[in-house]
Amino acid sequence: MKQILFGLVLLVWAGLGLSACSPTTTATSAETIRIRWARDPDNLDPLLVDNPSAFEVTNLLHCSLLKGNEAQNRFVPWLAEAQPTTRPLGDSLLLVTYRLRPQATWDNGSPVLARDVAFTLKVMNCPGLPIERDQATFGFIRNIQLDAHDPRQFTLVCAGQSGDRVSISGDFSILPEYVLDPRGTLRTVPLPQLALPRFQSVAQAFARRYQALNLARHPERLPGCGAYTLTAWQPGRYLTLRRKARWWADSLPAPPPELQAFPPQLTYQVIPDATTATMALRRGEIDLYALMPAAEFARLQHASPDQTSLRFYTTNSYEFLTANFNVRRPALRDALTRQALTYLFDIPALIRATQQGAASPSAGPISPRIARYYNDSLPLPSFSPARAAALLRQARWQRQPDGSWQRQGAQATTERLQLTISYRAGEPSFETVALQFRSAALALGIPVQLHPTEQSLLSRQLRAGEYDMNIRQLAGNPFSYDFTSLLHSRGIGNGNTTGFSTPQTDRLIEAIPLATSPAEKARLLRKFQRALAYERPFSVLYFMRYRVAASRRLGVVPVMGLVPGYEASRIRLEKKPTTR
Amino acid sequence: MKAPTVWRHVGRNLVTAWLVLSGLFLLTRGLTDATSYLQTALEADSRIQAAERSQLTRQLLHRAGLDLPLFYISFEPTQGWQWEGTANQYHAWAANLLQGRLGTSYRSSAPVSGLLLEALRYTLPLTVLAAVLSAMVSVGLATTLNGRYPAGRRALLYLLHALQAAPLFLLATGLLLLFANPDVLAWFPAFGLGLEEESATWWQAPGRLLYHLALPVGSLVLMSAPALTIQLDAALQHELRQPYVATARAKGAAPSQVVWRHALRNALLPTITLLTELLPNLVAGAVVVEVLFALPGMGRLLAEAAATQDYPVLLGGVTLVVLARVVAQLLADALYLRTDPRIRLQA
Amino acid sequence: MKRQRRSRRNWPRVLAFGWLTGVASAALLAPSSLLAPDLLHTNQPPFLPSHWLGTDPQGQDVARALVQGARTILLVSLPAAILTLLLGAGLGSIAGFWGNTRLRLTRSVGVAGAALVLSALLFAAPLLARGVVGGIGLLAAAALLGWVLHRTVWGRRPWALPADALVAGLIVLLDSVPLLILVLLVAAVQRPSAGGLVLLMALTCWTTPARLMRAATLQARGHTYVEAARVAGLSDWQLLRWHIWPVTWPVVLVRFPLTVSLLIGLETTLSFLGVGLPPDTPSWGRLLAGIRQSPTAWWLLVWPGVTLLLTILSLQYLSRRKM
Repeated sequence: MKQILFGLVLLVWAGLGLSACSPTTTATSAETIRIRWARDPDNLDPLLVDNPSAFEVTNLLHCSLLKGNEAQNRFVPWLAEAQPTTRPLGDSLLLVTYRLRPQATWDNGSPVLARDVAFTLKVMNCPGLPIERDQATFGFIRNIQLDAHDPRQFTLVCAGQSGDRVSISGDFSILPEYVLDPRGTLRTVPLPQLALPRFQSVAQAFARRYQALNLARHPERLPGCGAYTLTAWQPGRYLTLRRKARWWADSLPAPPPELQAFPPQLTYQVIPDATTATMALRRGEIDLYALMPAAEFARLQHASPDQTSLRFYTTNSYEFLTANFNVRRPALRDALTRQALTYLFDIPALIRATQQGAASPSAGPISPRIARYYNDSLPLPSFSPARAAALLRQARWQRQPDGSWQRQGAQATTERLQLTISYRAGEPSFETVALQFRSAALALGIPVQLHPTEQSLLSRQLRAGEYDMNIRQLAGNPFSYDFTSLLHSRGIGNGNTTGFSTPQTDRLIEAIPLATSPAEKARLLRKFQRALAYERPFSVLYFMRYRVAASRRLGVVPVMGLVPGYEASRIRLEKKPTTR
Repeated sequence: MKAPTVWRHVGRNLVTAWLVLSGLFLLTRGLTDATSYLQTALEADSRIQAAERSQLTRQLLHRAGLDLPLFYISFEPTQGWQWEGTANQYHAWAANLLQGRLGTSYRSSAPVSGLLLEALRYTLPLTVLAAVLSAMVSVGLATTLNGRYPAGRRALLYLLHALQAAPLFLLATGLLLLFANPDVLAWFPAFGLGLEEESATWWQAPGRLLYHLALPVGSLVLMSAPALTIQLDAALQHELRQPYVATARAKGAAPSQVVWRHALRNALLPTITLLTELLPNLVAGAVVVEVLFALPGMGRLLAEAAATQDYPVLLGGVTLVVLARVVAQLLADALYLRTDPRIRLQA
Repeated sequence: MKRQRRSRRNWPRVLAFGWLTGVASAALLAPSSLLAPDLLHTNQPPFLPSHWLGTDPQGQDVARALVQGARTILLVSLPAAILTLLLGAGLGSIAGFWGNTRLRLTRSVGVAGAALVLSALLFAAPLLARGVVGGIGLLAAAALLGWVLHRTVWGRRPWALPADALVAGLIVLLDSVPLLILVLLVAAVQRPSAGGLVLLMALTCWTTPARLMRAATLQARGHTYVEAARVAGLSDWQLLRWHIWPVTWPVVLVRFPLTVSLLIGLETTLSFLGVGLPPDTPSWGRLLAGIRQSPTAWWLLVWPGVTLLLTILSLQYLSRRKM
């Protein structure tokens, strides 16, 4: 009896709850765009942002001087009025001069001035703050010179003269001095002298005030000059941004794409699991789901109820899957063996199996999408065990009676061709690639062991060079062609996990960022791709395509090939409100 | 139990807890590479040059206090044994813990205690509801099967064993695909705890919570109730064969009365051990369910901390679980004494 | 009445035996080589000519993986389950029977053992790096310490080993870190081999049987006939063997099929996290985990699900028969 009574109470209670939360029809939800996030930003202190979600929010709250533009393949002016002008100083310094947009204002109506930029740089150099990452990234900006006549003009003194430095010099969020340092205590301190004992007390007092704001969890205490303000953040659940009613860029006659902001409200929902996110999208609980798994995307595209309620977009990205060879291993030290093993990847079948056919094979680490720099005269890799066997024989491997391969190594040792292949555990596409390679290699008499490895252990093994072959994803971008950390001899032990370097490629890597004209750059890049195609420190399997599925409630979503795969601020709602 | 005995008992439990935490501290930090929590973020950032990366890694380690030696003594094959003094990671951690400070998360630079409290706000409703429901379901099922409807017992036991064979992620995915799927039945929401702008009156709030937690709680009950029921059923069967039950029957008690009044009290004893496991599990959360239904609870916090090697959060969470376990152990011993006075605790 | 029940139970018993024999013979006869994945037919539904039970998202044939997975059950899950129960039952009955005061050792053994455990904990990393040599060296050092102490008068004095507290402490250590997180931590250190996997699973899962066994032993020890036997002069081992275990072991036995299923589930989750068996070892758990990648592929749920269920139910039936 007691149980029945209790059950009744529960039922009534649940009923009340159900009546309270039938699908939401509040006034705000009609103009809210809900976007799925796989993970929380964790930390929104502008000095500490380090994950894609956090970068996305920071770019909506704050503006930088320049912003990467995918259509133009370069950095374009954002808070700056125009591209900076540069002038070399001596043979190691570079002067980069910017002018800020005259319309740009903070939320209190005061203009964004050069002294705000100077202030931001001082924050990034202030001892006592967590500035290590900013120091590593922007430490090359040695000083800032304000223009005596124009409060919006300033010159950055940069160390190093490569073109990439210019674009990075404009790639940090400008912070408001009036919020963080209303009395201008840092204004009189010259940037290079901030760390001197003379200014220790000023710097410490500022650092204490900055830390007291706890911006990591309360970013709303630092209003930026971006179009949005943060209205709610429940870490791990959701984050809501609201469009400012009056934003300075609204007064521009024809705002460029970087300065457009349409959605009145953006809500990011954190849903870690892909199945749940798909379900939420189909039920209209979220409007946009980017970087969707290929199989689910293809299934929804062909399912009848979803075709009418959703729109599907794909776009080429700069992310690619590679098979890396550890060239320090005796069996993999010669290019011919590495070329031979590349013939054992059945790339078209892998693209079909893991990406539902939506990926593009490539001859090298530059996306075929960038026609200007892609070397289209190189052949695409193909699947051919026969050619692999021929190349192995050229590399002096001899097939033994039991089917395995051996050759004489240095100092009369016998080398056997047997490999391990490691990859991040729990990633199905890596596993498919590894299994396909294993079976193709086994058919040729090469034993292959699979080592799925947990992320941090894998990254340790890669840095220490404790692997034979490895499958991983690498991300490029269309703005910078600096391969130093990936393939230069200076990168060995850090980003260059294959241990590969030759004098020729080292010279090319150094020359590419310094090339002044696009034609010269294209010539060097093509030469570099040809060298890589012969040397094969890694084999590019395919370039991914980003998949975005969005509700038809939204207009055409501007998608892009860079993370997160869409431009949230330029999504428009469909004009006529549809009934859901 | 006399008062000094109780205190000695509590003291021993606390010492065990301290040893457990110290062991875990030394093992996690001694066996893993200190830099790995930085590497993923640094590798993704193409703007940082190779030369600056190693210096940056050193600086960040210094900020987190990870460049200190691990323990009071250290051993290097080249230098032999060395005394490191109090400037070591263990000393700093222990001193902080004794003052009630759990440290700061590497990932979000927020105090760990705050993160844990936030996570508990989501985890406790989920796990407490699931625990209460599983206990009710299992006692109800076991007593009904042994008392009123013994005929259906075998069939139901098979079903329970079958349920138990399924891993939790299958159960939860199954529920999600059945009850939150527009193709089948869209009765419950797919994720989360509702949206922020929906305001609810005080009497609606618990109902809304129930509605949003229905699927997560359902999957947890489906996972834990079978084990409890099977255990309780086995114990009841054992007790029903005892002579005192025959005596009760001979006195004319109805079958359900025999079960409720006589056998259950004795049969609960081994089950108490299972029930006391619940309390720490309530605090530890449920990783799979929290990830699947997008609830930012303890399980997800700890799993993410383990995956990204955010030791302060991980150890803080474990500290909480260990404390819950100390309390649970004391409760269990007290319950034993109440249900079976024949058992004496040794001091 | 008993005879009647037995005759009625005959046919399910035959079925259960038959099924387990089938699984065992599949495990013994399964082909050891792996077919090349059929990348043109990934996620293919069943009852089509080339793959009559369908394929998984990796393009592996489900039927073949099922047969080969039976071997994994026999070689990994079953030994792990037996080891788990033995470990749990052993430690649980020691803790319950001797408690904190009744197991007496000499001080030398106690001190040497404590030193051994402490140094193994502190220098786990260098020990792991040296492998067997380091382990033997440490053991030898501890033995030497014990021998030296044993020559002193102080060292030979009796000392009560707090068995209950030690086992309880171990249980606390293992249970306070949720299982998945423990496994993630282990994975961050080193990926275990297949034998290591069996050991890892047994070492993490023995706590529940141990706890149950401890409770049952505590209860059994309180019975009057145990007191009577003790007064009659039976030794501890005799008491345990003839008067405690016959009462307590069904409590653990009832958990055998449950432990098998738990370990199969754990093995699935481990494979899923990449700490488990390598992906070229097919297992039923891996097939089940495939449903996470393609939620509509019901055949990945049904076939391994049915085989898993039948196996566990058969095990459960046969173990209950002996009760």
